[in-house]
Amino acid sequence: MEYGYYPGCSLTGSAKKLDQGVRQVCKKLGHNLTEIPDWNCCGALEYGDRNELMSISGENLKKAEGIHKEIVVPCPACYKNLKDADSDKSFNILSPLELLNNENLLKMEQKNDLKGQVFFPYYGCLLMRPEGSAIKNKNIMEDAISTFGGDIDGEKMKDRCCGGNQLFLNKWVTEKLSNLILTKSKGTIVVFCPFCHMAMKTFAEGRKVIYLTDLLLYVMGENKSL
Amino acid sequence: MQTTDHIMELAGHRQEDFSVCMGCKVCASVCTINDLDIDMNPQEFLLKLFMGEEIKADNPLVRYCTSCYRCASACPWQIRIPEVVRAVKESLGIEARFEKAFKKSLDIWGRVYEPFVVIMSAPDLLMGGYIKFLPKWMEYAGFHFPHKVKRIRTSHTLKKGSSSKEGRS
Repeated sequence: MEYGYYPGCSLTGSAKKLDQGVRQVCKKLGHNLTEIPDWNCCGALEYGDRNELMSISGENLKKAEGIHKEIVVPCPACYKNLKDADSDKSFNILSPLELLNNENLLKMEQKNDLKGQVFFPYYGCLLMRPEGSAIKNKNIMEDAISTFGGDIDGEKMKDRCCGGNQLFLNKWVTEKLSNLILTKSKGTIVVFCPFCHMAMKTFAEGRKVIYLTDLLLYVMGENKSL
Repeated sequence: MQTTDHIMELAGHRQEDFSVCMGCKVCASVCTINDLDIDMNPQEFLLKLFMGEEIKADNPLVRYCTSCYRCASACPWQIRIPEVVRAVKESLGIEARFEKAFKKSLDIWGRVYEPFVVIMSAPDLLMGGYIKFLPKWMEYAGFHFPHKVKRIRTSHTLKKGSSSKEGRS
């Protein structure tokens, strides 16, 4: 299927790995992603003026008009902003997580399994709430992990806040909130948000932090290790 | 300028959106700031605004709100409290070096160019004890040239020159 693609700024830099992973997994699922031409920043969580934020995010929808109706947006902050900017629901804004379902997970070519390994699927905030912009299947990462034989831990912490957006403002806030999550979970941390990835990576000692796309590519044999 | 009307306008809320708050305090029961051992009741914050009282820059919600949306999600009236907090920050002109750099990058290129943001925030990163994280952050490093977006026009671009003070703890 054809989709418009909005990578967002961090996926061109620090979260390049997520960008590459999303593109590879989508290709494996038979989806073709085409970037919105000349896309701009969504404004993230940095603007106090909602009209201004919506106009910055909405610019991207104007650029997609007449080209794409279905737009895949991996970064949760971008996903929320573009969904909010699409007030008349002219587009279908999708997280790559929404392209996954039990059917295509089961059909996925499986070269490695996850048996004997423990994973903590960690969604963070913006994929889970507010309800109007949240993903529909809030267990999709668990579904993916268990489909391939992995064990799940830390379910109660999966939607708690890591304080990722305070990392460069008040790092003690991020440290305290991340440690709370880390102490109440175990295993490899599986995330889908660049903020969460950085917060977990910064404060997790001796635990792997991966994107769900890394896990899927490992299962499909595209990555040699997790 | 900090008036209730102005903050509501910034947050995209209306007066009646605030007046429906019945003080159930469900927002207080889920607020992430409580996990920092700081007693936080966002309902009191809304009430202060509604009553036209001044919110100060040292209010914990202004300083530490993580935009987790747990409050907004739990609120029976769907008041977008994190956006109200961001509106208060905007009205107080609180902007850390990192946030300034973020917006500046958007003004220049239309996108966030991370190397620019890091360089502009360097004094805070150096003084703030971030250097010890560099080994863990190596996987995020990588050079690319900035891409300049051709079409972007935001009200922030037009507001350049407006005064703001740096807020950081």
